[in-house]
Amino acid sequence: MKEQEFYKKLVDLYAGEELAQELKDELELAAFQDPDLSHDMQTLSATVRTLRNMPRPEFTEESFHRILMKMQTRGLEVEVKAPTPAHLQLRLPMNG
Amino acid sequence: MMSGESQHDSLAEKRWLQALAKGDPEAVGGLYTIYGDRIFRYAFRMLGNRSDAEDVTAETFLRVMRRLNELRADGAFRTWLFRITRNLCIDRMRQHKLMELPADHAYGGSMEKTTLRITVHQALSELQPEYREPLILCDLEDISAKEAAEILNISVPALKSRLYRGRRALRDKLGGSLEKAL
Repeated sequence: MKEQEFYKKLVDLYAGEELAQELKDELELAAFQDPDLSHDMQTLSATVRTLRNMPRPEFTEESFHRILMKMQTRGLEVEVKAPTPAHLQLRLPMNG
Repeated sequence: MMSGESQHDSLAEKRWLQALAKGDPEAVGGLYTIYGDRIFRYAFRMLGNRSDAEDVTAETFLRVMRRLNELRADGAFRTWLFRITRNLCIDRMRQHKLMELPADHAYGGSMEKTTLRITVHQALSELQPEYREPLILCDLEDISAKEAAEILNISVPALKSRLYRGRRALRDKLGGSLEKAL
């Protein structure tokens, strides 16, 4: 009974991938004989995985410039340097 | 250990903060180039729409300029920036109920995945802010528990407790949708 309670407490760490491999193996072994524990582990892990795989809101070029304009309209002096063209970033030794 | 990209950002941040202190007009632009996308994304996740997220991002950098005297050169700039954004988002959420489903949100992939993502977005919006915020910072924005705790101004154990409860609350809201995804 004590062990079951202990395993239940580890599920949060398991789902967040914060558990040491040894404890992870032990928990997975215990889950074979405990359907409730197994269900808790699977559904919580799936929740975390789903969250971590959610698409990122895209920071578009239009948004970048609209924000810049908003700052400038409100009196902030902002200057953004255009990135250096790739062919000027590296000085390669010339052959010959 | 710092990744190459974050080490590069950290060096660039230091350079721009020094420039900011000297009144260089390019400094805000430099900091916006480093952090604009992350601040925008965080605001978008909090508010749920592009237009408000753009407003809040612009206001965040305006506040940086207004509060230059609070700026500390101890590597906590990013945390400070996120904190300003968070406060601005909370103000907006108080003004009007946001978090509606964004029309221009990129939901790619199969129909099942798209349906699940829309369901997750809705379920997230229904969570209490004290549970939603740790999920946005740690699971969606991949910010460490320590930094997320600093942004939310709570201890790391409190952050973890809210994060774990938030995940469970979300799981319960997702219910059957999640079973299908397993």
